[in-house]
Amino acid sequence: MRPVIPYVTAALLFGLGVYGVLRRRNAVLVLMSVELMLNAVNLILITADTTVRAALPQTGQVFALFVIVIAAAEVGVGLAIVLQLYRLRATVAVDDVPLEKVDA
Amino acid sequence: MSLSPYVPIIGMFALAAGFAVMSVAIAPFLGPRRFNKAKLAAYECGIEPSPEPIGGGRVPVKFYLTAMLFIVFDIEIIFLYPWAVSFDSLGLFGFVEMLLFIGTVFIAYAYVWRRGGLDWD
Amino acid sequence: MEDLSLPKIDYAAVAPMLILFGVACVGVLFEGVLPKAARRVTQLVLALLGLVAALSVIVWQSDTRVLTAGGAVAIDGPTLFLQGAIIVLGIMALLLIGDRAMEHGGAFVAQAAITVGSEADRKQAVKEQGATEVYPLTVFAIAGMLLFVAANDLLTMFVALEVFSLPLYLLCALARRRRLLSQEAALKYFLLGAYASAFFLFGVALVYGFAGGVEFGTIHDSVTESTQSTVLLYAGLAMIAIGLLFKAAAAPFHVWTPDVYQGAPTPITGLMAACTKVAAFGGLLRVLYVGFDGVAWDYTPILGVVAVLTMLIGAVLAVTQTDIKRLLAYSSIANAGYLLVGVLALSKDGLSSTMFYLVAYGFTVIAAFGVVTLVRDADGEATHLSRWAGLGRRSPLYAGIFTFILLAFAGIPLTSGFIAKFAVFGAALDSGEAWLVVFGVVTSMLLAFPYLRVVVMMWLSEPGESTPTVSIPGGLTAAALVIGVVATLVLGVAPAPLLDLTTSAADFVR
Repeated sequence: MRPVIPYVTAALLFGLGVYGVLRRRNAVLVLMSVELMLNAVNLILITADTTVRAALPQTGQVFALFVIVIAAAEVGVGLAIVLQLYRLRATVAVDDVPLEKVDA
Repeated sequence: MSLSPYVPIIGMFALAAGFAVMSVAIAPFLGPRRFNKAKLAAYECGIEPSPEPIGGGRVPVKFYLTAMLFIVFDIEIIFLYPWAVSFDSLGLFGFVEMLLFIGTVFIAYAYVWRRGGLDWD
Repeated sequence: MEDLSLPKIDYAAVAPMLILFGVACVGVLFEGVLPKAARRVTQLVLALLGLVAALSVIVWQSDTRVLTAGGAVAIDGPTLFLQGAIIVLGIMALLLIGDRAMEHGGAFVAQAAITVGSEADRKQAVKEQGATEVYPLTVFAIAGMLLFVAANDLLTMFVALEVFSLPLYLLCALARRRRLLSQEAALKYFLLGAYASAFFLFGVALVYGFAGGVEFGTIHDSVTESTQSTVLLYAGLAMIAIGLLFKAAAAPFHVWTPDVYQGAPTPITGLMAACTKVAAFGGLLRVLYVGFDGVAWDYTPILGVVAVLTMLIGAVLAVTQTDIKRLLAYSSIANAGYLLVGVLALSKDGLSSTMFYLVAYGFTVIAAFGVVTLVRDADGEATHLSRWAGLGRRSPLYAGIFTFILLAFAGIPLTSGFIAKFAVFGAALDSGEAWLVVFGVVTSMLLAFPYLRVVVMMWLSEPGESTPTVSIPGGLTAAALVIGVVATLVLGVAPAPLLDLTTSAADFVR
């Protein structure tokens, strides 16, 4: 049996994440969209784990653990950077970040 | 393609929803009702409830800091699960590896603690 | 429960990475327990000692050719060479990072959490010493790069990618001057970097679905033998390439480069321009040469177009820049294009010439950013190009050094830049990629124009009121400058030893 539903769900989630990154103007929401993309990958890894003839069993599940941990670390760093910007400008809209005009 | 593998999942959903509805529904009939001021107040995550949200509904940044530290340390521990499952076959090697891993997590913890990351005020 | 066979680990072969990760952890511990005054010297010495120790292990282990840790790490010629290069360039960058002679407290902010422009911020800008967390962060980044070039499966590669990226995002946000610019650069770098690494990971998952494993050996076997549909394979490879080309700053994934290079503290920009480039191309080489060489015919034209685009965009936009750090950023993009030409030769020569180019470019670019840290006025570094006019009269020595560096970038004979370009173009010609070489030569000539414009400006203009002074460098910066300039000259005059070394190292194990 090929598990179609999880693959399609994962592709939709990933697409949703891509859409979110491209469309959202709020840095926190962009961050959440990236997390959504990573979780879509987790779903694929776990699904693929049940179907591919891997040399080692359950490798896909272990991959997912690594991805979860790295995603958490990424959120930690990301929120720190976003909070910095928030304290400064009281906004986290990414198109409100005028790099060129700022002096000193 | 057969949908039968999904039947248990749907069953699980139904059970969870049923339990939630049931808990709320039968609580008034079973529990004694003795109200006081603190019980009637709205619950606001451990802080003093206020009619006007502080700072226009914005949550103080300290919550984020603590939540972030919690998430990071919480997630690190995920690696203990596969180790616990195959503890016997991994033997001494796995044990030493885990000690090293926990050691590195503790280094980060020591840094946060010493530099005041855990102080609330 | 079935018995697990534990992976064999060749501890001597992975010792450089273990040393650096250990040093970084100890550095974090020191941050917590040492008194403030003692931190900077301790951290700097600890980091330098760690790097030197790791380098000596690499030299001692230089004949190792093994797959270890259950096939997750490959220690072979290219790995050892690139690891050595990353460490040497990392030491130079660390010297720039550690110097506090030009500016009170160094190039880094003391408390990044203090709001920019507040009273506390003005106070700390004048008084406080810079944060010392930069040293463990730098060591973490360098250790991650070592693992990245050694990674023999895609998951290890992804973990290593994050391990070296996350510290870099933070380091970008820590500039002492122009903190707004620095924080915004960090935000852009982080958001785009996280986006690109998500694509990389999606590619890994697709390739895992195709090959049933993520080791490059497994992928290689299923690429050559598999009879199933190759959609997963091509989609996966494309997405992995996006992740790697982003880190390498190749067009069209280069847009972060100028902003981040400009906003980051200059020593960190040097670290990114030299070490990240080595790591990214090391990873790309291994992916293309070891994992996916079976479909080389399919990806060469696409990556060729990417290379041409990268060279053109880098060269053309470099002409229009008015800020020295942005100019160097576009030059770095163009150089990513030349490196891609070497990669696409897909031969032993291609591999060795690319490795040579990475080292040559790394030495020169760190020296270039070293000079940028010296040209300052009351507001910090004077990076606007118009301010550099007449610098030759003010300070002939440093203007001379910078002229030499720019000539090396332009590929003038007797500099390492010439030998490096000659090597990659030669390798590409031998492999029949003449069209890439044509674009390479044309854009090189185009790119010489902005370099020469800076040279002319420095020497032939009169120094005006606004021409900044050139600070006397501290011992650390001076050391980094001397290493960079001497290496650029030596590799230009007598490149044979390093060329021999790259040739003998140019064999992947599978």
